[in-house]
Amino acid sequence: MNNSIITTNIVRIIVLLLAQVWIFNSMSFNIGVNIDVHFIIYPLAILALPVRVPTALVLIIAFFIGLFIDVFDNSLGVHAGASVLMAYIRNLSFAIVEPFDGYNVNDVPNIKRFGFAWFISYISINLFIHILAYFSFEVFTYIYILDILLNTITSFFVSLIVIFLIQFIFTTKY
Amino acid sequence: MHNAFQLIAKYGVHILFVVLEIICFNLIIRYNPSQRNIFLNSSNVYASRIQNVRAQFDQYLSLKEVNDSLMRQNANLIENLIVIEYATKSIPNADSLYLAYDLIPTTICRNDIFKRNNHITLCSGNREGIEAGMGVIESTAGIVGIVNNVTENFAQVISILNPQAKISCSIKNRNTHGTLVWRNRDPLHMTLEDVPKHHKIVKGDTIITSGYSTIFPRGILVGTIEDYTIESGSNSYSVSVKLFNDLTKLQYAYVVKNRFSQEQISLESSERNE
Repeated sequence: MNNSIITTNIVRIIVLLLAQVWIFNSMSFNIGVNIDVHFIIYPLAILALPVRVPTALVLIIAFFIGLFIDVFDNSLGVHAGASVLMAYIRNLSFAIVEPFDGYNVNDVPNIKRFGFAWFISYISINLFIHILAYFSFEVFTYIYILDILLNTITSFFVSLIVIFLIQFIFTTKY
Repeated sequence: MHNAFQLIAKYGVHILFVVLEIICFNLIIRYNPSQRNIFLNSSNVYASRIQNVRAQFDQYLSLKEVNDSLMRQNANLIENLIVIEYATKSIPNADSLYLAYDLIPTTICRNDIFKRNNHITLCSGNREGIEAGMGVIESTAGIVGIVNNVTENFAQVISILNPQAKISCSIKNRNTHGTLVWRNRDPLHMTLEDVPKHHKIVKGDTIITSGYSTIFPRGILVGTIEDYTIESGSNSYSVSVKLFNDLTKLQYAYVVKNRFSQEQISLESSERNE
């Protein structure tokens, strides 16, 4: 694997993790009494890994990224569990939203290579599963299924918007 | 051995996924108290459900013996009734020396209010005689929670602002009962459920503890009825209760020690096992 790709990914992971911990964790707010809205943007660090990275490695990276967020959020295992689930789904989602011309060896999931429609469906599938898993693990009981869904949908939309802003502002060039 | 390698090569990713998720769940349950409580509670619920089915089966098998013994008891009771008819005055009074409840004063170390599963930590523990399962009250007006875990110097309490705390309550002077739970994440209001809808209730009625469990004595004032609704298709009221006490300002509390709770619990559990 090219050295610059590795460096780019490591830098991206570190920047996104710090941004999540320092900025976005403190931005969560409530709507009414029941709905907690969280800005969860660090999944982008896992989703933007190159397509050909082996799934086993993605799973391990996701585990440690989640663990890192958990240490700062004081919820050991919750983010990690959601991240690992999403990393597992990521592999399947490549097959679901496969572009017409298939994937190349050097492909990186971004808007420039695959287009807006592909990117939004790819990010949406994975992000939604991640946030749903996160709130399910946090609440940990099915009594609040309605709350979980409301939290998931609201957090999903605000996070999606922020992720797209980040993508448009920092388009990485390879 | 060769087969094992082949298996890992083929399904390695899936195995890794499952292993990592198991690690995560372990972490969640080990390091997050509210999730651990939910996990322990629900696993107990399933275990007890299986026990229940077995107990029902056993009961069915022993129906004839039970019937016989009931007949004998009935005969005995009827005999006693006849005797009492002639000797009503000889029934002894309850002995006032055996007061059932003892109060242990304590201060609050930590008090969660805004979480979904709130807990309170008391600054006294085993040394002062606190045990798991005791109730905690603020005064004669206002309940606080139920003791969950005790160490030598501290006690963890499941606050009433926690959906796991379900407290049996009555409506004063109306002889109807319900279960007080916390549904709306508002620290000043709770919900009284399972009040049958054929009972008449009025806004402003007082809610008191029912004394059916060993945790709280009967008659501790809890709150007043602020509003009530009947959900369509439901047989019971859903009553919004305004609490007398404000748990956000909680500083002191009393732990209620029931001297006869062991006796009652062992009696009830032995009844359940048979």
